[in-house]
Amino acid sequence: MAIYASSVQDLIDELGRLPGVGPKSAQRIAFHLLKLSRDDALRLARAITEAKDRVAWCSRCFNISEGELCGICADDRRDATVVCVVEEPRDLVAVEKTQEFRGRYHVLQGAISPIEGVGPDQLRVKELLTRIEPEGIAEVILCTNPNIEGEATAMYLGRLLKPLGLRVTRIASGLPVGGDLEYADELTLGRALEGRRDIEG
Amino acid sequence: MRLRRLWLTDFRGYPSADVTLDDGLTVVVGPNGHGKTNLLEAVGYLATLASFRGAPTDALIRVGADRAVVRGEAEREGRALLLEAELVAGGRNRAQINRQPLRRARDLLGALQVSVFAPDDLALVKGGPAERRTYLDDALVALHPRHDQLRSDLDKILRQRTALLKQAGGRLTPEIELTLDVFDAKLARVGDELAAARRGLVDRLLPVLGRAYDRVARAQAEVTAVYDPPWAADGLAAALVAARRDDLRRAVTTIGPHRDDLDLAIGGLPARTHASQGEQRSLALALRLSVHEVVSEHTGTPPVMLLDDVFSELDPDRSDALLHSLPAGQTLLSTAGALPAGAVPGRVLRVHEGTVRAD
Ligand SMILES: Nc1ncnc2c1ncn2[C@@H]1O[C@H](COP(=O)(O)OP(=O)(O)O)[C@@H](O)[C@H]1O
Ligand SMILES: [Mg+2]
Ligand SMILES: [Zn+2]
Repeated sequence: MAIYASSVQDLIDELGRLPGVGPKSAQRIAFHLLKLSRDDALRLARAITEAKDRVAWCSRCFNISEGELCGICADDRRDATVVCVVEEPRDLVAVEKTQEFRGRYHVLQGAISPIEGVGPDQLRVKELLTRIEPEGIAEVILCTNPNIEGEATAMYLGRLLKPLGLRVTRIASGLPVGGDLEYADELTLGRALEGRRDIEG
Repeated sequence: MRLRRLWLTDFRGYPSADVTLDDGLTVVVGPNGHGKTNLLEAVGYLATLASFRGAPTDALIRVGADRAVVRGEAEREGRALLLEAELVAGGRNRAQINRQPLRRARDLLGALQVSVFAPDDLALVKGGPAERRTYLDDALVALHPRHDQLRSDLDKILRQRTALLKQAGGRLTPEIELTLDVFDAKLARVGDELAAARRGLVDRLLPVLGRAYDRVARAQAEVTAVYDPPWAADGLAAALVAARRDDLRRAVTTIGPHRDDLDLAIGGLPARTHASQGEQRSLALALRLSVHEVVSEHTGTPPVMLLDDVFSELDPDRSDALLHSLPAGQTLLSTAGALPAGAVPGRVLRVHEGTVRAD
């Protein structure tokens, strides 16, 4: 027996698919949305549609971007010879907030995790390799998360990149082990960037 | 270390409970199936964030409730500690110390220590290698919470490696080969570290184990415990290289700390296959007692002892021997029957259909 009208149930199901939203929260958000005025609700729907229509991946670094290049790649004051590799756009935001880094980024869009069916081919690894020569990249800083998947991804990239004669560094520990970059405070993350070290084999 | 008071909300069969414990011996009595073990399990949960019965979190939440709370007021070196663990059905567990939320629930580990004695401890001697690995690794976590990270890293790496081997389907593309190299490097580091920790632990346990056995068995016997993994000599990295073809073919990790055993022997004979049931029971008790002693010495304060219905399985002689082998410290003991002669409880808790009442 269905408890809710099917349109409400559809809404709950869609919300429940969002990261970090369990069935209970999905229900709560759905009923909140239903209570909104039609204008308020449509504004949210429009914001989603517009963001979806306008935003794509930066063709260079795979950050989210409204144009061909993201704001960082389009800014020619940034140092093209140093690239910080992160898993997700939100990690890029965390590093930007430290104001310690003036180079460019490369967003992998994930980390190696065979359990989830994610290998190097599912990530933007080849795209990183093709950037090295033309952009004159001399140093790659591996800023993946300090958990098993992030560490494995960093080591994988290290083994690919080091033979190319680049300096390859890993952000220093000091970050909580098993944690997420996203949650590290700016000071800790800033120090971790400063104290980066050359990656081991 | 003392646990002074315990509050439960929707834990197992308890809608709510508020229990004061004695500094010495507290005895939990009541008919079977009324919640004696559940009460001890709650104390164990506060210490280890796991059920000593091996039950998943969801089984610990009262049927019909969507969360449970275990709260304990402990005292350590004169300092009061309010420990709280919240269990959420199908969700993330949370913990607090002195009302400060912890970033990760597992940061609660180490605040309270327990030593659990239960009838199925016999499996330590009679059961498979997994029982003895768990025994060693639990003891390591009790000695230092950082071992918890080591253990969960090992677990995670192995699961990733298995998934990768399955995906490979016996064939190595350059991407898969390099990915496997990377996971092997991680596995080797964690494996070598865990093996070294286990070896160090066994070295500390051995002398204590022999004496504990003699006390419990009331007999002199040469007890040995040997942890000597086949891969240790050349390190796990080399062993993984040697095993790679096999691992690829079978899509499992055939060698490593997750396959090791602790070889127990009494009088030179393997305890699992050659010892009598009585000797096996004595050895199981001795194994528990010796970890308790080593952890007490290491942390400077004895863990709270949880004795769940152990006397029901022991003959009067061994009961008496155990009772007299128990070190000083706080003890919580459950029994459906009579107390063994010589036990002097400071407090008796009567459990009845999910309620607790002090005598
Ligand atoms: N999640 C739960 N919700 C409600 N009751 C439970 C739950 N888990 C266990 N119980 C109850 O607890 C009882 C077992 O309690 P237990 O402590 O093992 O008994 P004993 O006193 O024999 O040690 C079972 O009869 C069961 O009804
Ligand atoms: Mg019981
Ligand atoms: Zn860009």
